[in-house]
Parts: sequence; C-alpha cells; structure tokens
Amino acid sequence: MSTITKLVFSVIACTSLIFTLNTSEAAAHNHQPSHQAMQSEKEQVSPCKGIEIICAKTVTSVFAPNGDLWRLWALHSGIYFQISTNNGDTFSATTRVAIDKEKISARNENRPKIAFDKYHGVYISWVTPKEKKYTADVRFSYSSDYGKTFTKPVTVNDDNLLTGHSFNEMLVTDEGDISIVWLDSRLAYQLSLQGKKINGSALYLGKANYRKNTTSFSNEQLANNTCVCCRIAMDYNNHGELAIFWRHIYGDNIREFALLTLAQGESAQQTPYQISYDHWKINGCPHQGGAISINGNNRYHMVWFNQGDVGKGIFYASSNDQGKSLTKPISVGVQLAQAAHPHMKTNGDNIDIVWTQFTGTEHELWHQRSTDNGKSFMQSVKLATAVSGSDRPFIINKNKASYVSWHRPKQGHLVQAL
Amino acid sequence: MTFFKKLTCAVFIWLLFGTNVSFAESVAFNKAQLAALKIQNMGKQWLMLLWSVDCPPCFKELAIIQTLKRHHGDLLVVIINTDANDEIKTERKDIIEKFELKDFTNFHFVDGQGDQSRFFIDPNWYGELPRSYFVERNGEFHGKSGLVNQSLLTQWLVN
Repeated sequence: MSTITKLVFSVIACTSLIFTLNTSEAAAHNHQPSHQAMQSEKEQVSPCKGIEIICAKTVTSVFAPNGDLWRLWALHSGIYFQISTNNGDTFSATTRVAIDKEKISARNENRPKIAFDKYHGVYISWVTPKEKKYTADVRFSYSSDYGKTFTKPVTVNDDNLLTGHSFNEMLVTDEGDISIVWLDSRLAYQLSLQGKKINGSALYLGKANYRKNTTSFSNEQLANNTCVCCRIAMDYNNHGELAIFWRHIYGDNIREFALLTLAQGESAQQTPYQISYDHWKINGCPHQGGAISINGNNRYHMVWFNQGDVGKGIFYASSNDQGKSLTKPISVGVQLAQAAHPHMKTNGDNIDIVWTQFTGTEHELWHQRSTDNGKSFMQSVKLATAVSGSDRPFIINKNKASYVSWHRPKQGHLVQAL
Repeated sequence: MTFFKKLTCAVFIWLLFGTNVSFAESVAFNKAQLAALKIQNMGKQWLMLLWSVDCPPCFKELAIIQTLKRHHGDLLVVIINTDANDEIKTERKDIIEKFELKDFTNFHFVDGQGDQSRFFIDPNWYGELPRSYFVERNGEFHGKSGLVNQSLLTQWLVN
C-alpha cells in the first residue's frame, strides 16, 4: 500500500472516528435520549453464545402433525432443535440432533430441512460440505421416536463423487414417503474429466421410505442446466404429485424460473414449463430462489424474484393447468426499497406472501394477503424489523392458521401469526 | 475533542495502516474506506470487484484477475468479500491466497452488516454476484452483475 493511500485512509478514518467521538460526547451531555437509545439497542441486539439460536445464520421451522412447532438450526457442526407447544410463544430446552457432528451448510439459501410423518417420525436432511471447495453431499437421518434418537446419517446422492450436491429440499407424506430434491454437479464433473463443459447443475430427486424399510434413496435426474446457487421449492398437487419450481438457465445465461410436475402415465410432463419471462441475463449467482404453494383446487401459486431487462423485483402468478399457462404476473413489494426473498403459502382461499425490504440500515419484514385465491390482494403490511442481518422469511401453516417464521441473527427468531 | 486527542487519534490510525495491518489480510469495509478509495483513485481508471465464497462464478473472475496480474503486474483493483460472516474467515483467506490476490487491497463486509455495506455502495444492487464496478477517471461508477470476460477486464485495467 502506498504512502499516499495510507495517508488518505488515515485522514478519512480519523475524521470518521473524531466525528463518532464527538457524537458520543454530545450524547453524553444529553443523558435521557442516550440512555434510551442504548437500552433500545441492547434489547434489539445481543451477543451470541455457544449454540444459542441467536447465533445461527438460518432457522428452519415447521409445524408437526400434532400441532407442535419445531425449529431447527445448525452451529459448530451440530444440528439443534427446540419444540413449542404454543405456536412459538415459548420453546423447550435446546436439544442436539443425536448424530455424530459433521459440517452443516446453513447460510443464505442453504439450510437443514425437517419434515414429519403421522406416526411421530421426524425426518432431517442437510448438506455437508466436503474437503474440496464447492463439493458437498446431501445427508439424511430419521427418528422414529419424535426426535429422541436418530438413525446413522446416510448420503442421499449415490454417485460417490467429490462434486457438488446441495440446496436440498425435502417433503415427507403422512405415510413416510420421502422426497428430497437437490442441485447436483455429477454430470458437470464427469464432463470436465473429458475436457467438456456444461452450464449450471442438474436437478435430482431421491426417494425412500424408512417406515417401509426402503432406506436406500433412488437418484433420478429431472432436469439439466439449473442455476447453481438458488434454493429449490416444491409442493404436492391435489393428485399427490410433486411440483418442483427452480431457477433454470435458458439460452445464454438467461436465469428464469421453471416448473415441473412429476405426473405419472400419459399425463407425464416431459419438459419443464418456463414460468418467468423477465430476461435476467447473468453469468453469476442471484442467490434468490422462488416459492410454490398449491391449494385445494389444484391451482399452482408461485412467487419469484428477478432483475431482468423485462421484469425487475418480486412477482406473483398462478396457474390452473400446472404451469402450462399462467396469470399475468403481478409485482409485489417496493422494488426501490430493495424488496427481495419472497416466500408464499396458500391456506384455503388465502394466499400469504412475505418478503424483506431494506432501508439502508434496517431490514423490514412485509406481508400481503389475498383472501380470494389471488384475484386481488390487500394492502401490504410491515410486520417487523431487523438491525443485524436477516434470514429469509418463510410462511408455515398449522391447519387453517398461517404464521411467518423470520430469523434475525443476533436479534432472535420471530414466529408471528398472519 | 482536544487537539491532543485528535493528534493521538491521527497518529494511532497512521500507525495502524502504516505498519502492521496490510490490506492483504482483508480489512473490514465501511463508508469511510469507500470514500477514501474514491478520493485516492480519482483521476484513475480502476475496478472494484465484489465476491463471495458461495459464488462459483466469482472464482472465475478472481482467476482472470490473477492471470492479468501475472501478465501485466500492478493493476488498480480493489477486492471486497461480501459474505459478512465471521465463520468464513479462513475460507476467505484461503481463496485470497489461492488466487494470489494478497497484493491487492482486500476488504470484507462486517458480520451482520452485509446489506448495509451493499446499500452504501449501491442501493440499486441486490447482492447478486460477482459484481464489478468499473470506475472512470472522473469517479463515476458503472456496476455490472455476473462474470465479466477477460477481454473487457484487460481493456479496462491494462490498456
């Protein structure tokens, strides 16, 4: 670093420090506001200790069939959970998932997943990074006794290759049919050995059922050329078929959302439907996946985020023919206020969408509801703020009630009825 | 604040930046440093490159910078890691070393302040990566998201 550089940085940094000190001094002369400000700050941000949830970057929450709310987070190579019997007002003591410690991917779009069957079975899936950069395995463990004990973890991807397998999503039926999807780089790896390249990853599906002793996961490639760093979304449709929604790469790095329903027989869908047409051309990482939720009349509802030439911001649209045709996408949130990271869930005719906005100093959690199956939406409402970072918000349902789960690192995990 | 205090402060910071702390070690980024970069590089054409350990295409751009540096020596590039996560400190350091970027000015976003840092750089940027700012001699910033090809980077930094 040159002397001039050092001098410039010193002067500016010192000026900044002097300004800060002067401000502190001024505040010290005005005791009341200063004290209040400090109290408020104390209440909002706490130093994290050990394995407390407040130290986690991400939290995953799901209601179990018995109405318990589980929340799950990863720290220091362990996965931890708490259970609430009063919809998140209070939680049980922290318990570590009883498996050997291993590295867990838990930041931004990557986080452990949890699901349940109707027999007190608990299913956990996560990604463990391997020794080489951008290599990871999708892992799984099952508890038949509501979390007291867990099976020895298994690797879901069956290729035994030191390559990328990540961004896992998991759904489990009442009867224990497990479906895990993830982004898989095995093809890219194999082609690279031949000196060939492929753009993006592949979408894979693994299925098993531990209750029926099918403990080896199938591995099926569903699509190729997916974006490599956005979470996947999925839901069951009214026929019990999986609908999967992800960011795909079309043409020359056009990142748009795609939808595939895993229908059987004659109605099998051969090619994913392209859902968004915002023309976001980027040879990079958006780090923003979408969300899908299918309600009782088999209407597919979706939200996504793009920064394309044609469309910028959060969009909502729905389809009554599994994505073949789509309602005109409507804009959600305030694009100029950095509206991002949308999630949604249907509950009867209600459609709830949550997302974050950013003021430059604070993150804001916003909510918007439709009570007529997406025909119209009520005015958006700000629910909460965060001052020290923001996890993605998620909506979780308990029977006819919907809740938002939003983790605020160093501040706390929020569960609020919508 | 007394003159003595101000003098002590200036000497302290001068010693801090002037002796042990090399930017090769990566320094926490803040508004003051962005202002300093702008002043320091006024009249020059330079590049500000933002990257994350969770962004495979970012590594490709870092590799291009590595190649250009090998062929052309000093380049006016400022490199900023956007993870804002103390947990990745070792990963960040390993990557800076792997791509031989220690001679560049390296910054990182402070843990929990990633979006604040992103916002004061550019409120119209949503965090997609890699993000490259081509800064003109008059100090005007032009942001581009996604991997920038080698010819454009060469043209901007070398010619």
